[in-house]
Amino acid sequence: MTNDVEYGRYPVARLAVPEWMLKVERLGRVYGPYDDTVIASTGPEIGSSKSAVNGAVVAAWDVSFEVAAGEALGLVGESGSGKTTVLRCLAGDVAPSCGEARLRTTEGDVSMFDLDSSARRRLRIDTLAVVYQDPAEGLKMNISAGGNIAEPLTAAGWRNFGKIRDRASELLTRTEVPINRMDDLVRSFSGGMKQRVQIAKALANSPSVVLFDEPTTGLDASVAAGVLDLIRSLLEEHRIAAIVVSHDFSVIEMLTSRCLVMQHGRVVENALTDQLLEDPHHPYTQRLVAAARA
Amino acid sequence: MRREPVLDVRRLNKSFVLHAVSDRTVVAFADINFTLSAGEHVALAGMSGAGKSSLLKSIYRTYRPDSGEVWLQIHAGEYVDMCSLTDAEVAAIRGHEIGYVSQFLRSEPRRGALEIVARSARQRGMTDHDAREAAAAALHRVGIEERLWDVYASVLSGGEKQRVNLAAGTVHPPRLLLLDEPLSALDPENRERALTLIASLTHRGVAVVSIFHDLEAIQRLASRVLVLEKGRLVAERSPDELDERLTSAAR
Repeated sequence: MTNDVEYGRYPVARLAVPEWMLKVERLGRVYGPYDDTVIASTGPEIGSSKSAVNGAVVAAWDVSFEVAAGEALGLVGESGSGKTTVLRCLAGDVAPSCGEARLRTTEGDVSMFDLDSSARRRLRIDTLAVVYQDPAEGLKMNISAGGNIAEPLTAAGWRNFGKIRDRASELLTRTEVPINRMDDLVRSFSGGMKQRVQIAKALANSPSVVLFDEPTTGLDASVAAGVLDLIRSLLEEHRIAAIVVSHDFSVIEMLTSRCLVMQHGRVVENALTDQLLEDPHHPYTQRLVAAARA
Repeated sequence: MRREPVLDVRRLNKSFVLHAVSDRTVVAFADINFTLSAGEHVALAGMSGAGKSSLLKSIYRTYRPDSGEVWLQIHAGEYVDMCSLTDAEVAAIRGHEIGYVSQFLRSEPRRGALEIVARSARQRGMTDHDAREAAAAALHRVGIEERLWDVYASVLSGGEKQRVNLAAGTVHPPRLLLLDEPLSALDPENRERALTLIASLTHRGVAVVSIFHDLEAIQRLASRVLVLEKGRLVAERSPDELDERLTSAAR
């Protein structure tokens, strides 16, 4: 296939690029009343996400991106840059102020922010999963590992107790949690083990999109390495569209192929991950990379 | 009749703006033009700092050129301009069409050699099973013993890493192979093996752009030499009229 327009001297090939699974357009989240003046009074040029006009906080503004199946997109930035706000808007934990997020499902494209709360919960059960930095957000600490995993399964209509146990033990095996811990309360697990249970639970209904929010932050280095390796191999096995929020370039480098860099609520740069690390353009990205390389 | 080029680099410019040093601009190279056909091997020569590695990285799009075009043939008679593709398109083209072998293995943490090379083969479109077989063959070709295949590549020696890198870049012959000092850490025997491998790829139609730090490699492998000086393409030579000063060995 060739384009009609000849570009330069060469016939231009049309490339087959995987289509998006999740498409976010002009997402914004503002705490407090806002108008154009308030928005314009925040951002990287101003040096703050808090408006001097009325004190409103523009946590995220004009954030757009696409993620395809089998692809992992990184959201990078310091704390307060707005990356977690974006993730929480997509997760449904925070209501966006404006913008759109479309998700491709077997029943067609869904505009996530237009869904009512029950449809939104449904989506979280079988299509879009989240792995939080703090396992306490994604898991119930006073329930067993198996019980935590059973939750999304029963919510998705699983009724057979034996099948639920089989699925739970399959997921725990895959995430390298000893099966003999299946009936122990998650509270009694180590940090790394909790994170593995959270990942097992997120994968329960084979979601097409998984959002990872600083999935290894706060874990000991060797434990973090094990969890990272697990995430990496899961992303390779399943054609998941993933978003990885992290301030840690080693995590981003290992898991993602493309990235957005956020500062003061705005995307200041987006590029392939190797480009950001080797040829960062924005002053903020240059500072981040220099700090990571030091 | 002239053959259609595999690569056509036109008016390519790259500079860096260093924001931490009062926005100082450093020119990596300027106004680079050259073409390359299938089965041709062009070596880049010039002093260290002349812009050779930057040029390779800009073709691969690890560096984002300021302006210019990098036309790459991806099917018979069909081209893409690497400089005007989207990020996702660049990622797809890299995996499929271009092998990039740098001096150092950018070794992913906690991966074995076989896995690294097999991954590269899968990106070129091979099935899991074929990719593993191709990876095993590629590792044999560069002389990496089987007992090292599942050892984390990060703990291998410099020369072993370099050979794993070469195996990954050549596991399934790419259309374009970019070599940035791929032999610098090899002992004579392995160096000989690598030279033979690169020559055989050129023979099979792979187009190669290379940087070697020794004259002998250039003279054995390259069909043309482009000489860079302070970011400018100043001369084109035949390999046998090259002298030592123009290789980066002068560092």
